[in-house]
Amino acid sequence: MISSGFRELTRRQSGGRFAELLKVQAKLAVREPYGLLAGIGLPAVLLAVFGFIGQAVPGKVGDSGQTIIDLWTPTLLVIAFLFIATSLPNTLVRDRQIGWLRRVSTTPLSPAMLLAAQLIIDLVLAAAAVLIIIGGGALVFGASLHVQLLPFVVSLLLAIAELFALGLMLVALVPSQTVNQVVAGVVVFALMFLSGLWVNPAQVGDPLRTLMYYSPSGAAVRALLDAVFEGSVSYAALLTMAVYTVLFGFIAIRYFRWE
Amino acid sequence: MSVNAADVVTVQHLVKRYGPLLAVNDVSLSIREGEIFGIIGPNGAGKTTCVECISGLRAPDAGSLSVYGLSPQKDRNKIRGLVGVQLQQSALPPRLKVGEAVKLFASFYANPLDPDELLKSLGIKQIENSAFKSLSGGQKQRLSIALALVGDPKLAILDELTTGLDPEARHETWSLIERMRDRGVTVILVTHFMDEAENLCDRLALINHGTVRALDTPEAIAAQAGGSRVRFVPSQPVDEQTLRAIPGVNAIERKQKYVTVTGTGDLAPSVINALAANGVQVSDLEARTGNLEDAYLKLTRDDRAVEGDSAAIEGVVER
Repeated sequence: MISSGFRELTRRQSGGRFAELLKVQAKLAVREPYGLLAGIGLPAVLLAVFGFIGQAVPGKVGDSGQTIIDLWTPTLLVIAFLFIATSLPNTLVRDRQIGWLRRVSTTPLSPAMLLAAQLIIDLVLAAAAVLIIIGGGALVFGASLHVQLLPFVVSLLLAIAELFALGLMLVALVPSQTVNQVVAGVVVFALMFLSGLWVNPAQVGDPLRTLMYYSPSGAAVRALLDAVFEGSVSYAALLTMAVYTVLFGFIAIRYFRWE
Repeated sequence: MSVNAADVVTVQHLVKRYGPLLAVNDVSLSIREGEIFGIIGPNGAGKTTCVECISGLRAPDAGSLSVYGLSPQKDRNKIRGLVGVQLQQSALPPRLKVGEAVKLFASFYANPLDPDELLKSLGIKQIENSAFKSLSGGQKQRLSIALALVGDPKLAILDELTTGLDPEARHETWSLIERMRDRGVTVILVTHFMDEAENLCDRLALINHGTVRALDTPEAIAAQAGGSRVRFVPSQPVDEQTLRAIPGVNAIERKQKYVTVTGTGDLAPSVINALAANGVQVSDLEARTGNLEDAYLKLTRDDRAVEGDSAAIEGVVER
């Protein structure tokens, strides 16, 4: 069974450590496809749902001058980011709970690299979600996006930063996978509601409207909507997202544990 | 192991607390280049905390540590390249494959061993495409050894490596550890199996309640159990006084038809002679000198006795 001794084992030069790590993390992301489903499956499904609603109810919504698919594209983007971000704790909390992060921390690789590799993969997923929703919306359902490029990109990046910081904060705060399932479920549902998926904040009264406007997801949707349709920049929404990014990021760093 | 080998790990007056619990209380020991150094002791004795401090995973509250002349805390980055660690209760992502894990760990080190050769030499090459979650206990331990070795460490720390393995897998693991030493790797082995410590280790530290109770070769510690034990079946009932009168006898124990006498000196001849003088024949005689397990139980029991005393004294003081 055991063929030879260790004495004659040869040493060799190590390859790029981060490239190998990224490769392995990518393979695991495919084998444990929470993020993949959240990043690619969910936007495709949501897009199809709202696309067909748009086709069933053609014409402009109210006095907005926009079709259903136009109006909901920013919401779909934010919800896709939300799902990708809240899939972070699925893997990272598990990896911490089983001692994998600790095991890696005994090697010369900094465990921060493990985190970085995971974030890079999730950023790729977020980019894929953007492509699917914007590209699919325009090509399949004829969404018309007259995008103000700079405010749109800034809003998009801030939305991703804010929601990923939220995901990392969950990783830092939840003690176990079981707790994460409950907490992430509540957070996702609350932020889906606050984003305006079911209720348009413009049509509700205060204080719910203010709450929605200044929630992490509501602010992101508002910034994107303004960038797309008004051609203006909603500084209040951008600032709200920046504050959340710093706040969530600070808590994530302050309470992060490798074991 | 040569007698004059240099100390590669030095621990002096190590203290580590978890809140009110004093996990390690003034532990000092040194480990020589190329030896298999065992750390034994009951659960919760502070064994794991000790090796976690040596590997840099935990910062001690007091005392000094030196690993190859480096401080595990200050020079943690350098230490990580020199020390391979197998952690107690540490799993891999369930869908990570054996080959991928070893290649991944190889990529973390500047001059790793060849992953393929290592897998072959550990006998797990044929399962390189199996996911971690599908491995048996023995296969997981081999993978764990592979991960601890792939960086070609100078020191390997193995924490309860064979817990939960069947006897065959344990013996195979032992031979792997011996081959590790043949490669020149110094090994720290944390275990609570006495046979493992007796068979594998060049030297041992017995830790109980956070302190070193004995530090020597397994043989020397076993000798501390003191003297020998004789078990036999008498041809007719023997009374306690006859046995007590034999020089060197400390304790007598009866179980079914067997009588077991423990004490100091060469007990077997004196027992046979004394009983023969009383007209009693002895059969099924089994004599042995104290082994490591006896010493272990004696030393840890002594601690319990001392605790009992001090508890009683405290009780008195309180009143």
